[in-house]
Amino acid sequence: MRGRNLRSSTLATTLAATLAFGAISLLGAGFGLPGATAQPAKPPTGGDDEIEMGGEGDPAGPVDGGEIEMEPDEPEKDLDADLAAETDGAVKIDTTTRELKPVSWQDIVVVMRKPFLKIRRTDLMPFLSTTMNDNMVRHYGAGGQFNYFLTDVLAVGVEGQYYSKQFREPFDLVGRQARRLPTINKYNFSAALNFHYVPVYGKFAVLDKKLVAWETYFTAGVGVTQSEVVPRDPRFGSFTNLLITPNIGASMRFFLFQWLTVNVGIRDYIFVDQFEPVGRTTGMFETPEQAKANADSALINNVMFQVGVSFWIPPTFEYTTFR
Amino acid sequence: MKTFTRLVTGQWSGVAAPLAAALVLSAPSTAAAERKLDEEPAVRHRLLLVAKRLEATPMFESTINADFRHFIGGGLKLEYHLSDMLSFGGIIVGSTALDTKLTKRVMETLETCDGSPGNTQADCDMSREPSQTELTQHLNKIPMHGSVYVSLTPWYGKLAAFGKAFVNFDFYFQGGVAFASLKSACEDAVCNDPSPGVDTNPGDPMLGNPDDNPNNDPPLNGGFRPGLYLGGGIHVFVNDFIALDLAVRDYAFKDNPSGADFNADLFVSDVDSRFLHHLFVGFGVSVMVPFQVKRTR
Repeated sequence: MRGRNLRSSTLATTLAATLAFGAISLLGAGFGLPGATAQPAKPPTGGDDEIEMGGEGDPAGPVDGGEIEMEPDEPEKDLDADLAAETDGAVKIDTTTRELKPVSWQDIVVVMRKPFLKIRRTDLMPFLSTTMNDNMVRHYGAGGQFNYFLTDVLAVGVEGQYYSKQFREPFDLVGRQARRLPTINKYNFSAALNFHYVPVYGKFAVLDKKLVAWETYFTAGVGVTQSEVVPRDPRFGSFTNLLITPNIGASMRFFLFQWLTVNVGIRDYIFVDQFEPVGRTTGMFETPEQAKANADSALINNVMFQVGVSFWIPPTFEYTTFR
Repeated sequence: MKTFTRLVTGQWSGVAAPLAAALVLSAPSTAAAERKLDEEPAVRHRLLLVAKRLEATPMFESTINADFRHFIGGGLKLEYHLSDMLSFGGIIVGSTALDTKLTKRVMETLETCDGSPGNTQADCDMSREPSQTELTQHLNKIPMHGSVYVSLTPWYGKLAAFGKAFVNFDFYFQGGVAFASLKSACEDAVCNDPSPGVDTNPGDPMLGNPDDNPNNDPPLNGGFRPGLYLGGGIHVFVNDFIALDLAVRDYAFKDNPSGADFNADLFVSDVDSRFLHHLFVGFGVSVMVPFQVKRTR
């Protein structure tokens, strides 16, 4: 109750001060009052549009090439002194309700509110992916993710993707140059339950014109992948494996609209795959069942690069706190 | 509703007239202000963390997804930033070579030609597969590579990590000329074919048939190679003059990494070299000189 009163009085004071300042400014502009024309000093012309931080030489002297020094002559401001100072016409605010009292201006951080809220929103993301770490076979994936944000930094979701394969140059070279047939598995599909955590967010300017917000998030999950043996000898049949697949990853999300973001990321799908046995020939492990029973195992890190577009539901959001 | 009625009936005409005038007068000025805002920079008073500074970056670099050999090494990047967006520079890296898992797996299965029964040099010459020595000595190395480039930094910004660390960053893209010094070291005892692909005894149909064994041909994959360079990366500024530099770089030049017959004509020639992309990931620590940073207006 007390907090509400304080907030109300603070709002009222702010509103009053704003109106008063606006009125004085208008009057000042109309009548040419020097005190009301709070225009910043006109910058030096004819040079680069930049100023020096902690520069050398006399800070009060002329600036070479239109640049001025940023090292201030004035002493550092003291918050306690400023708070204690009486100001004519200002309304004194009760600050006793604050539990933490800032000790200097350095402790007061002005943070813009986030330009995009995700809490209690759903992210539908179709995406494309490709293999990053296999020099024999490259997989292209197409899939989708469905993520629900429990908070603004934590989400739970599911994903699924379908793969198609393409043999790379070394697959042929090993056969032609070294006379060896590579043992290869292809991946058919995968699905996973994932958790996402957003520890990093920021904004950047594009060509010094447009600001874009972005964030980095980490993903961890578990699911299944179906792999399929590509037989070295096409006379023999292939077999499939359903593999438990933990995954970890890191991605970036770029906020373009309230309802649309673009995501790029890297995901490592980890599983123990079953490969065609080396000695498979006529009379030995001929059938897929025999080959699967004698399959060779290996730990695989299938690292994929992913690009996706997220559509957010609901497509808009409302802030629940003041700016 | 009451206010609207009074406005219509004229009771508030003393207020309405100046208000309407103000609205009419403010409309064009608002549009002009919006147009002017569009022309303004997105960020004012920002730190010019790279403009007119020399960037020196000791760095580590490693290939990504190499076929036969990984190249891992260290080097130096020197770059001068003409402005906050445009810069030029150069990279030079010295590398050592490590066999990939693919090479190791193939190697394990190849004949050793160690002179043991059934594994003599004569036995090896009868087969079409290379010996372990032949495969190893045909692979080349890249002891030195680098580039000279122009760099564009169109994106800069600020990020917060875990709500605690607030740092500046920028993304950059580079394009230019690549170069590489390739090293091939096949001993004469291994690469002993003086005229690959040539019938040395054309008069004798049984001897010296057109050479069909590329395994003893010189690999022809050494020397200086110019090419093209593309790169992209990110600076994450630890303070005003030190930044972490993470980049992906593509040095593209003619190469035949295996030193073997690529086009299946059964001998090794310059035609087997092709324009290949050599992808590297680099990590370095950039030091910006001078240490003092400027700020925009």
